[in-house]
Amino acid sequence: MVKMSVEPVKVKELQICASSNGEKGDSWEEADELQQDRLGLIAEPKQPKPENAVTIAVSTRVLFRTEREQKVFERHGVEEYLRYQIEHENEPFAPGPAFPFVKALEAVNSRLRQLYPQSEELFDIVLVTYNHAHVGVRLINTINHHNLFIERFCMTGGSSPIGYLKAWHTNLYLSADAEKVREALAEGIAAATMFMPEKQTEVSASQLRVAFDGDAVLFSDESERIFKAHGLDRFFEHERENEDTLLDHGPLKGFLEALGKLQKKFYAKGQRLDCPIRTYLVTARSAASSGIRALKTLRAWGLEIDEALFLAGAPKGPMLEKIRPHIYFDDQMFHVEGAAEMGTVAAHVPYGVAQKRDARQAGK
Amino acid sequence: MLLSSTNQEEEDDEVASKGGSELFAVRRATFLTIFLFSSVTAVTFRVFFTRLRRQRVDREAEMVSTVANVDVKQKDADHALVVAISCSAVLEDADDGDVHRVGVAFPLLQALQSVNRHLVEANSSESLLFDVLLITTDERRQRQSARIVSSTKHYGLEVSRFCFSDGEDFVESLLENQVQLFLSTEPEEVALVWQRGVPSSLLGHQTWSSPSEQLRVLLCGDDVIAAAAAESAQRFWSQLGAMRRRFGVLGSPVSVAVMTAHGGRRGFADALATLRSCGLNADEAHCLAGAPRGPILELLRPHVLLGGGLR
Repeated sequence: MVKMSVEPVKVKELQICASSNGEKGDSWEEADELQQDRLGLIAEPKQPKPENAVTIAVSTRVLFRTEREQKVFERHGVEEYLRYQIEHENEPFAPGPAFPFVKALEAVNSRLRQLYPQSEELFDIVLVTYNHAHVGVRLINTINHHNLFIERFCMTGGSSPIGYLKAWHTNLYLSADAEKVREALAEGIAAATMFMPEKQTEVSASQLRVAFDGDAVLFSDESERIFKAHGLDRFFEHERENEDTLLDHGPLKGFLEALGKLQKKFYAKGQRLDCPIRTYLVTARSAASSGIRALKTLRAWGLEIDEALFLAGAPKGPMLEKIRPHIYFDDQMFHVEGAAEMGTVAAHVPYGVAQKRDARQAGK
Repeated sequence: MLLSSTNQEEEDDEVASKGGSELFAVRRATFLTIFLFSSVTAVTFRVFFTRLRRQRVDREAEMVSTVANVDVKQKDADHALVVAISCSAVLEDADDGDVHRVGVAFPLLQALQSVNRHLVEANSSESLLFDVLLITTDERRQRQSARIVSSTKHYGLEVSRFCFSDGEDFVESLLENQVQLFLSTEPEEVALVWQRGVPSSLLGHQTWSSPSEQLRVLLCGDDVIAAAAAESAQRFWSQLGAMRRRFGVLGSPVSVAVMTAHGGRRGFADALATLRSCGLNADEAHCLAGAPRGPILELLRPHVLLGGGLR
């Protein structure tokens, strides 16, 4: 948005300075529209209202690589860390694990804007970070350097970001901090912890690919509980008995739903084959038996998934390596690590009964 | 008075005294006339001058009188950050009783005092403190001066000065007292003071009045670039920045946030860089790029909000 120093519309704002928040917001939006009309051109696309968009909140540590700075923080404390950041302000960070994902979101946005220029149903990216404002300039320099379209920032200066996630109507929160991710999940916000893989396989720049585990990610962890408590046979039995009962929803069901809504916009314009969003289910369930319940549940929810891969217990790594998703969500660290080993960016959803198992294994 | 002696002399004396008493009568009459005339004149003049003096006294009473609060240690005006708060914002009218009720700015005032306390704890000879001034901005309030002073004492408020203005020249007295921040619940007052170049914040509308451990100041980033032209803004940010730096990054009794409501990251980065060049590093920073302010403000909960269309 081009800012002009002399604006007749500002006078209008002064006169209503005593009005409520809501009204004020409207008047500023009117001012924006007037500005655009006057200029006769739109300098930058207008940002959507958070509640209309699919809002993705990313933290600095997953969008960029900040290992060196992290070390400074851990060894020398926050004051030294901030001083270091300011000193290196003109050095852009390298891309982090969420970088290709964010680039793909932008690719989808440009396709959506071509088809629906007035719509606010887009991806909206907000940088949500614990960092103090001191780091702001370096972050913006980095974003400029990499040509990212991020215009919204939330730097909490040490306060909890959870309240802000809600204020931004966040549909998905990606962070390197497992504790914050857990807090977000507890508040009903889809969230996952991201890690930097040793190697990164190349992913598509034009098609966003998102892969999900089934249990405890899209679905609740009820079946996993059975498996953990009573073993595989009892698990199969339980699934067969409850084939026609829908599974309960899991923490990322809402995000899949949001992706589906955007996909339908492409289908409506005859772009099903060419859709820039593709979703995958990658589950240890088997197609012949336990998988049926998963599919029935998805269908009942009105959610389409482009590819469902039932591995029947086989390792997920090789399959993911073929799919090349920008992000893969799983509730078990074992699978997350396995995927990362083969170059897939995997995100951990710390939800459900598997967490206790992970904790025990970590303790070993 | 002539004394009588011989007859012949008496006859002569009689003639002489008759002439003499006539002269005397004239002299007496003249004397009396002069006396009366001068008395009247004197009285008239006296009345006139008295009235004149009373008029001057009345006019002096109309002008602002700044009164120091003897219960509070006075701050060094050259180094302190002078904050003037409208009386009505701190002390609300009470129908009865000698003491006012507390107003929306009461928790803010307590937060200012808390910052001062922390500053002095860290350095007993600290001169960069908040210097708080209460100012009345209308005649009605001006007449309640005694009650205002006693209420201030009652609540133990650290107010160093009172400015009892009837409203006509209150902006002048702000400037005379080197006020760097003005706080009021009246939009017209805030706008008027901003126009004269003094940073001012409207209270009670988008600011918070619940008790807080920390003084929270919010600057509207959209106005920072334009406001930076004024020396008063630069000085204010510089002092606020210096005060903030007296404390560590975490656990500070004062927190500064910047919020850009419009435009994108370019304006946001410019605002942060401008403030930093004046010596102020914010703690929190938010760039809304057109998103509604309300939900974010509810989380920021500022006591003081500078800018945002109130210039």
